[in-house]
Amino acid sequence: MIHLKNVSKHYHPDVAALRNVNLHIRPGEFVSIVGQSGTGKTTLAKLLFAEETPTRGQVLIGGWDISNIQPRDVPFLRRQIGVVFQDFKLLPRKTVFENVAFALEVAGVAGRRIREVVPQVLEIVNLRDRAHRFPKQLSGGEQQRVAIARALVHRPKILVADEPTGNLDALNTHEIIELLKKINEFGTTVVLVTHNRDVVNRLCKRVIAIDHGEVVSDVEEGKYRI
Amino acid sequence: MVSFIRAIRFALQNIWRNFWLSVITVTMLVLTLLSVNLLLVMDFVTSRATQYVEDRIEVSVYFKAGTPQEKAMNALAYLRNLSQVRDVQSVTADEALIRFKDRHAGEEAILRSVTEVGRNPFGPALIIRAKSAADFPFILEALDSPQFSQDIREKDFSNYEQIIRRIQQTTDSIRLFGFGLCLIFLTIATLIIFNTVRIGIFIHREEIGIMKLVGATDGFVRAPFLIEVILYSILATVIVSAIVLPSIAALDPKLNLFFSGYSMGIVPYFQKNGWMIFGSELAGLTVINLFSTYVAMRRHLRV
Repeated sequence: MIHLKNVSKHYHPDVAALRNVNLHIRPGEFVSIVGQSGTGKTTLAKLLFAEETPTRGQVLIGGWDISNIQPRDVPFLRRQIGVVFQDFKLLPRKTVFENVAFALEVAGVAGRRIREVVPQVLEIVNLRDRAHRFPKQLSGGEQQRVAIARALVHRPKILVADEPTGNLDALNTHEIIELLKKINEFGTTVVLVTHNRDVVNRLCKRVIAIDHGEVVSDVEEGKYRI
Repeated sequence: MVSFIRAIRFALQNIWRNFWLSVITVTMLVLTLLSVNLLLVMDFVTSRATQYVEDRIEVSVYFKAGTPQEKAMNALAYLRNLSQVRDVQSVTADEALIRFKDRHAGEEAILRSVTEVGRNPFGPALIIRAKSAADFPFILEALDSPQFSQDIREKDFSNYEQIIRRIQQTTDSIRLFGFGLCLIFLTIATLIIFNTVRIGIFIHREEIGIMKLVGATDGFVRAPFLIEVILYSILATVIVSAIVLPSIAALDPKLNLFFSGYSMGIVPYFQKNGWMIFGSELAGLTVINLFSTYVAMRRHLRV
């Protein structure tokens, strides 16, 4: 599903965010990418949804080489990859329903289809009764669930979650991780970027550790260890 | 189609959310178009005023007393063949005498002096109208040919050319001033459009970022900004036409009165060409605004 071959990313000639990274993530896997701040985790995540392009090497998503993706192709890639961030990135003036529908609207999906799909996705994240609330009327965990619903609304094959629990308390963190596990059980490949030791240890899924831009360990059913 | 309708909706949202900025932008566009229309009306009125004056210019050519009417008629035929001549009328010596007496009726001394001469002291005359004031020198020169010059006593050409030149000089100055005013307003309007789009991008940067994140195409991100300035242009043109049309309707009778009942025809002119005038203004304004938006998006919108 996801292949990184000898990928390096340099923001400046002397500053390497990633060095010669090789990875293969299979369809339906739940992978945690761990490491301390500034080690290149987020850069790696950004490469997956073409927010960044590698300086060297190849990034393949479902066989599609996106290493030098054309700007006009980026929207079509992003409709196949759901992305969730630590700061939720919700539109404050739109309701929960409108925030989720927004992802379909910009893709040109018909209104009738939007009215069908959005309630289904809100049901998955257990927010159907909050559909007409605004983000500021929700808790942090609920806001993150809206962001996940928006990421899922295109029915992506891959979900990239960059520190999704970074702003949440323990209870909400648990809820979000359970939700990500549920999404993974439906067959979506989940790439979780985190530095939360408890989350990773409780998941008992594949753990890839990055340090100074290099993959230092890659363990099936691993623990947080750097 | 669905995306186009959504882009229009987003554009309307942009306009509504930045209401006062939209008001300022449209106001500047209205001022720009008003100055263009003012220039247009000025141009029309001055060309009609020049025409009005030119229509009234005539040269009177007086033949010497005793010149046979036939010679005057030869000159008339010659003049009518000139392309510069619009109309020539002949006045016989007898008619000239009657007119003179009519003009000086009640002035005993003058009338007595004419009687004392014992014969008609007037010769035939020609009243010439040219197609343009600029044609008179040519016509007068043509009458200087030996064929006619020996019989001509006087050519009475009031200095209309100078009057027209003065009108044209004033018109040119006003036109230059109006053109400068248009340029200033256009520059300000272009800068304001640029700034409006820039602020729009800044205000919506979060939304734009999320649009890109969830798979919006470049075109979909840019379209609302382009539609927004097209809507501004349409609105400004509608407002300007709503100001200009009643204004010229109110101005027309006053102008006609000023020119002694001579119809300036400004209302019929706008009735006939209104769609073309406002359509061209809309097209021009839209092109300039789209260009300004394109530059603003290139500089500030990274998609």
